[in-house]
Amino acid sequence: MSITKPTSPLNEVSQIKANVIAKDLPAFEEHAKQDIKYTTCYMCACRCGIKVTVEDNKVRFIQGNPNHPINKGVLCAKGNSGIMKQYSPAKLSSPLLRKPGTERGAGEFEEISWDQALDMLEKRLKRIRETDPKQLAYFTGRDQMQALTGMWASQFGTINWAAHGGFCSVNMAAGGLYTMGHAFWEFGDPDWENTKYFMMWGVAEDHSSNPIKLGLKRLKERGAKFVSVNPVRTGYQAIADEWVAIRPGTDGILALSMAHVLLKHQLVDEEFLIRYTNSAQLVVMTPGKVGDGLFYRGDSEVPQVWDQVKEAFVDSNLPDITPALFGEYTAPDGTPLKTAMSILVEKYMDEQYSPEVAAKECGVPAEDIERMALEMAHVAFKETITIDVEWTDWAGRKQDKFIGRPVSMHAMRGISAHSNGFQTCRAIHMLQTLLGTIDCPGGHLAKPPFPKHVPPGIKPAKEMAPNTPLKSPPLGFPTCPEDLAINEDGSPRRIDKAYSWDAPISCHGLMHMVISNAVKGDPYKIDTLMLFMANMAWNSSMNTDQTIDMLCEKEDSGEYKIPFIVCSDAFNSEMVAYSDLVLPDTTYLERYDTISMLDRPISEPHAACDSVRIPVIKPDRNVMSWQEVMVEMAGRLGFPAFTKEGGERKYDDYKDFIVNFEKEPGIGFLAGYRGKDGEKSLRGEPNPRQWEAYEENEGFFEMHFDMNQRYMRHANLDYLKLAKEAAWIGNTNQIVIELYSEKLQKFRLAGQGLYDGPMPTEEHHKERLVKYFDPLPIYYMPLEEQRIDRDEYPYHAVNQRPMFMYHSWDSQNAWLRQIMSQNYLFMNRVAAERDGIKDLSWVWVESHNGKIRCQVKLMEGTNEQTVWTWNAIAKRGGAWGLDGDVKENKDGFLMNHLISELLPQKGDKMDRVTNSDPVTGQAAWYDLRVKITPAAPGETGSWPSYSDLKAQPNAEPSPKMLSYSSHKNVNLLRSLSDILTRGNK
Amino acid sequence: MKLGLVIDLDTCVGCHGCATACKQWNTSGTIGPLADKDPYGREPVGSWLNRIRSYEVDDTPNSKTVHMPMSCMHCEDADCVTVCPTGASYKRLEDGIVLVDQDKCMGCNLCSWACPYGARELDPEQGTMKKCTLCVDRIYDEKLPEAERQPACVLTCPTKSRVFGDFDDPDSEVSKLVRGRAGKQLMPELGYNPVNTYLPPRNKPVQDQIDPASLKDTVKGWVNKIIAR
Amino acid sequence: MHPAFSVLFFTVLSGAGYGLMILLVIGHLTGLSQLQDGGVLLTAGILSFILIAIGLLCSMGHLANPKNAWRAFNRFKTSWLSREGVFAIAFFPFALIYLGGIWSNGADAGGIFTLAGIIAAVLAIVTLFCTSMIYASLKTIRQWNTSLTPVNYISLGLMSGSLLLAAIQGSVSGGLSTVLYQLALALVVLGAIAKIIYLFWIGKPAGSTINTATGFTQASVRLLDQGHTSNGFLNNEFGYTVEANKLVMLRLLMLAMAFIVPFLLLLTANSNLIVFAAIIAIAGLLVERWLFFAEARHVVRLFHGDQQT
Ligand SMILES: Nc1nc2c(c(=O)[nH]1)N[C@H]1C(S)=C(S)[C@@H](COP(=O)(O)OP(=O)(O)OC[C@H]3O[C@@H](n4cnc5c(=O)[nH]c(N)nc54)[C@H](O)[C@@H]3O)O[C@H]1N2
Ligand SMILES: Nc1nc2c(c(=O)[nH]1)N[C@H]1C(S)=C(S)[C@@H](COP(=O)(O)OP(=O)(O)OC[C@H]3O[C@@H](n4cnc5c(=O)[nH]c(N)nc54)[C@H](O)[C@@H]3O)O[C@H]1N2
Ligand code: SF4
Ligand code: SF4
Ligand code: SF4
Ligand code: SF4
Ligand code: SF4
Ligand SMILES: [Mo]
Repeated sequence: MSITKPTSPLNEVSQIKANVIAKDLPAFEEHAKQDIKYTTCYMCACRCGIKVTVEDNKVRFIQGNPNHPINKGVLCAKGNSGIMKQYSPAKLSSPLLRKPGTERGAGEFEEISWDQALDMLEKRLKRIRETDPKQLAYFTGRDQMQALTGMWASQFGTINWAAHGGFCSVNMAAGGLYTMGHAFWEFGDPDWENTKYFMMWGVAEDHSSNPIKLGLKRLKERGAKFVSVNPVRTGYQAIADEWVAIRPGTDGILALSMAHVLLKHQLVDEEFLIRYTNSAQLVVMTPGKVGDGLFYRGDSEVPQVWDQVKEAFVDSNLPDITPALFGEYTAPDGTPLKTAMSILVEKYMDEQYSPEVAAKECGVPAEDIERMALEMAHVAFKETITIDVEWTDWAGRKQDKFIGRPVSMHAMRGISAHSNGFQTCRAIHMLQTLLGTIDCPGGHLAKPPFPKHVPPGIKPAKEMAPNTPLKSPPLGFPTCPEDLAINEDGSPRRIDKAYSWDAPISCHGLMHMVISNAVKGDPYKIDTLMLFMANMAWNSSMNTDQTIDMLCEKEDSGEYKIPFIVCSDAFNSEMVAYSDLVLPDTTYLERYDTISMLDRPISEPHAACDSVRIPVIKPDRNVMSWQEVMVEMAGRLGFPAFTKEGGERKYDDYKDFIVNFEKEPGIGFLAGYRGKDGEKSLRGEPNPRQWEAYEENEGFFEMHFDMNQRYMRHANLDYLKLAKEAAWIGNTNQIVIELYSEKLQKFRLAGQGLYDGPMPTEEHHKERLVKYFDPLPIYYMPLEEQRIDRDEYPYHAVNQRPMFMYHSWDSQNAWLRQIMSQNYLFMNRVAAERDGIKDLSWVWVESHNGKIRCQVKLMEGTNEQTVWTWNAIAKRGGAWGLDGDVKENKDGFLMNHLISELLPQKGDKMDRVTNSDPVTGQAAWYDLRVKITPAAPGETGSWPSYSDLKAQPNAEPSPKMLSYSSHKNVNLLRSLSDILTRGNK
Repeated sequence: MKLGLVIDLDTCVGCHGCATACKQWNTSGTIGPLADKDPYGREPVGSWLNRIRSYEVDDTPNSKTVHMPMSCMHCEDADCVTVCPTGASYKRLEDGIVLVDQDKCMGCNLCSWACPYGARELDPEQGTMKKCTLCVDRIYDEKLPEAERQPACVLTCPTKSRVFGDFDDPDSEVSKLVRGRAGKQLMPELGYNPVNTYLPPRNKPVQDQIDPASLKDTVKGWVNKIIAR
Repeated sequence: MHPAFSVLFFTVLSGAGYGLMILLVIGHLTGLSQLQDGGVLLTAGILSFILIAIGLLCSMGHLANPKNAWRAFNRFKTSWLSREGVFAIAFFPFALIYLGGIWSNGADAGGIFTLAGIIAAVLAIVTLFCTSMIYASLKTIRQWNTSLTPVNYISLGLMSGSLLLAAIQGSVSGGLSTVLYQLALALVVLGAIAKIIYLFWIGKPAGSTINTATGFTQASVRLLDQGHTSNGFLNNEFGYTVEANKLVMLRLLMLAMAFIVPFLLLLTANSNLIVFAAIIAIAGLLVERWLFFAEARHVVRLFHGDQQT
């Protein structure tokens, strides 16, 4: 994005005046005593580059790095408050062991040494690894080092590993990766520079926190239209040109209805569809028979299309054929066939998708649905842009320009946190595809290492053996029932039941189910739960109130149902109190870290980028970074990838590991400054001075692509070659966009009993596969809503991320918590008045799972059937270095208590099924429905309430007054004569 | 010179980035520290020089959410300065920046009473008046790269909704913005003549709709075109 | 506005003190017979002195950084507070000389002492005016930004001064002076009229609105979020609100204590009851001053959700 770097704001004459003025001023800063260091922010997962001024091992100023690809010099409210995190009284200062004989949650810990802690962990893990590796469940929350933790788990040999994606936004990842090979979330960006019409679905903040803000400014500067689909109007929505106040959970029907309008008027990019998607491929139309709905391949391995010139079936992947986009055909063996596009058109031209019908479901007026579709069509087809650059397509043919249809979209948790989110996300991608806006100028652009083939070629591991690494990573992308991690009898193999019939394509696991499943022993019990950077005893669990109980539940023997809980945290979070062994991490300003190309790096659409953290402050406590702990444990446990032939440790420490580990020849965690002298990018032998090179380059690596590699990368040969060289993709074949998903159809066939492979035996599983694994995007009512009485629970309840707080971890921040230390339940004024609910009154909010008490605020900008609150503001007293009576504890509330991890109980088999998307296992946080009643007079304060947690042993009490500064201020004095003589001005 | 800020209400998303950047810079800056009372207790209150307020304007269905960051406006007729008995408050002749000399303030609050914009806050620890300095310790610091000689809040704003410049210079970015976007002063009726100027939200862009060519009722209406793959 | 007790006591007590001194000097120098008694003069003068001194000390209590209080004289050129300080301090030597003269020479001190008395009286009224102008000059507070404010301050200062004077004269010299008590009666009536006019005046809606404050003048504007959860300096300083029914009660109480009861007591022309009247009136003026603050609505409140100041 071409954000103009800041230049001097003063023009020449003013600058001259300024220089004169400067002469008379004292030196405010002692620059000679200050050091400037570059690293990467971790006040959130956006990963902005920061420039930190340090004096006397104290932070003077954290500012955005103007050269950094992500944030281009800007910082958000959190990033600017890093100082208050660094000096938080909640920082853990030593490894802690729960005192023998005390209860979990009591917070009675003794400080132990790192040697003791690591020995203890080593012993336990060694035993597990030698006997039954799946007894270790290792789950990581808001971290960004999944490449390392995932690899560690594979090497350990447990499939019970996942990061937070399952409760976060796997619907977006899967929706994109199973459709177009990249996705929303952190996988792609709108083309902020060129787009003329931007539609944002269900985003309050997202991971691209600063880039979205920079981007919106660019849109506005250029006069582009910004439409926001969101039941709530705050933040980004406030500056949208059009706010579409949708009813939660119904975006699918809105998107499909807009598709209906486009199809009715034949406003689709047929050329794009033929060249880049599978929509011309022929589908077998034999309902009720094995093979129905799969692509017709004839004798070939490749799906067939009908070549209109040759008048014959041909392999769909050939160049220079002229596939028919529409029509019904008959295979030589008599099998009836139809193009995927014909099926698609038939499906969505149905009345059920008409704006009039859709309007009733989603609350968006039919005229608006129609108008927005036609506006987008106008931009896509009448305001087309071209970039005159010669490029080579996948077949090696030269193309003289990139054609851009400048409509773009971005969507996040408003879509993903619903149990229909996967299909809704696919519906949005379908809309983009019909308009031909995928990875074209002005459209939605992938960020390297994406796009990948649909879906990426990694399969989830399912076999385990003692002392043996997994054959593939624990998480991957199933394409058919054979890929599921289930036993012969169909029962789940993973503790979170990922890749089971409950959620077959749960490619990020289901972290939200781990505690509940392990405690119930369903599917089995585990020995050790190891959590990194996840506050599962509070805001990242569904059903928090009961989760807290579960963490303390015991067997008859008196042993805890989860016998041992290890947590790595940097702060005294709620989770710490419920752990047996606490390993204190460094802060982000104190550690080495990589934001790796093997993960989701910081790439921009037009540049491959990754970055590092380099300590800028020396820790003052007995802490060790989790990265270091991982490498240390891997060495101690003798993981093959971490040991030499003789069993000797291969890597001294994390830094050494990062430099020298190679996933395959020349490919490591960091893609920049490789090769012996640091001259190679993306692939190259290890560079012993790689860390120094990153340090010299302000903590990041950025490799711009040539102009001809920047768009249409799913079919751009020069890009595909580069991506293969970088090991982002396995081959240079065209990445075909899958509007019609044969992979989903295979699961559906399994549900129909028509699959030649594993099939579910339980009726509810069959039903779910048939209903939800539609090969074309569908809309269905979210599962919770299907199972409750909608009249009894008339409101949808959702959350939003505040821009100035990151989940649970910013209430310890003395500056940020001043901005908000209590959250309210926001309601539409008209709705509240109808229900007799007054501004600032206390109410009971009840769901099928439980009830809470909280305080209401009324506003205009909320859909009438929706209530919402800011996420994760509530805290437990005593945690986070806070006093017991803080507003976060007494007045703020967690919505999580209302959200069940299981579907609403009805006495059927589904009672045991996770409250998640049936396709991906994504936690359905926003399916929540509630009723609201005024609290009785005198009922104030939030409920439920909890006992205060303990501060860590030897903690100093939190200060009552704080006045931070890194040096004594240099005052600018006003002269006495000026005081005495100056008149009015 | 007449230095000040232009704030664009069309693009401010209310992120509070400018508020914390300001707190961060200035707590170690020339008027620092900016103390915080009860920082981990029930009523944390610190002195801030820049705060963000959010409003809903008009009623449904026309209502709109507006975020309004506010710091000192460096008024041309700044009564906060004239009322100050000690002379701690003053408006610099050179550039119009309104400052409080921390060594001279006696903490009488009168200047804060005289300020219509809530731009002054008493420091809970030092008992002196704190206010926006327009980052006088950045904008003239010749040791900083030229591009960084800007207020901390301006540098950090992720939507670039804050622009710093010389309002006396008709060709400056700020002057152009004020002219081009009909910049407004807040509470002009009080006659303080604030320098900081707000750009009102823009009108919606008009987006054409495509003129639908054909209306297909079934898939039969679609004709295959010869398009090479 | 948050009514700070230090400021209430300061303005009421020093107001009474200045009022007392002014009337004392006028009465003395114009030859009012009952005020040619050294004992009366001295008692009244000392009381005035004490009230003013206590008042000023109270006003210091209001400072968050009192070590710089001495600098308050610096901005005489523009600041009413500075002027008030200068005149208040200047008052003391003249008042001292004047009272010293009476102490040493009795009522007919004459010459330099008379001059000092005149100057002290002038400084007293000027100080009173300056104090009132601190408030009256604030454009940010409509309820204060009016010429009614100095009228109020001066008339109430004189009123409470006159009550004190009558009370002292009555107690010290036994027989109550008709002139003084009629003066007090007149000033109570005048004060009450001024106050009632003021109350009517602030009742009329006027001033800035949330619309001009935010620049959105065409439509309703509602606060959604003030940007911080706990009350900050601005809320504490300016966000003070009195409930409407409490306000009516307090106004009635104030009118009763400051004006009606003293008026009725004055009518008795009983010197003991007049002492009582003076005390009640001063207590009433404390309520009056409390209301003066509590009913003043600073424009900053608009930003925090008030629709109108
Ligand atoms: N400041 C900050 N930034 C963060 C985080 C944070 O905690 N703080 N968390 C990070 C993480 S882990 C994540 S996952 C991302 C999430 O970032 P976002 O996707 O922005 O997530 P939410 O804040 O949950 O916002 C969801 C939005 O969807 C709307 N919404 C709810 N239901 C629906 C619906 O059915 N349809 C539509 N169209 N909209 C709906 C809500 O009103 C809300 O505006 O943010 C990341 N960035
Ligand atoms: N009701 C409701 N619940 C939700 C959501 C919602 O929208 N609504 N959103 C969900 C989503 S999308 C997500 S991603 C989850 C996030 O939930 P979590 O992943 O639990 O995220 P945090 O609350 O930020 O907790 C992270 C923990 O990491 C610790 N930590 C912080 N910095 C460090 C560090 O440097 N090192 C180590 N070792 N630890 C550190 C913190 O102290 C904290 O205990 O919440 C989920 N929960
Ligand atoms: S968005 Fe803010 S908190 Fe997140 S990395 Fe960037 S500056 Fe840091
Ligand atoms: S905004 Fe307030 S503090 Fe700033 S110059 Fe104007 S009156 Fe003074
Ligand atoms: S608080 Fe300080 S700066 Fe303000 S008027 Fe009083 S002395 Fe002047
Ligand atoms: S100019 Fe400086 S002092 Fe003023 S608000 Fe911005 S950052 Fe704060
Ligand atoms: S940083 Fe910019 S967008 Fe954020 S609140 Fe301040 S002015 Fe608004
Ligand atoms: Mo998330």
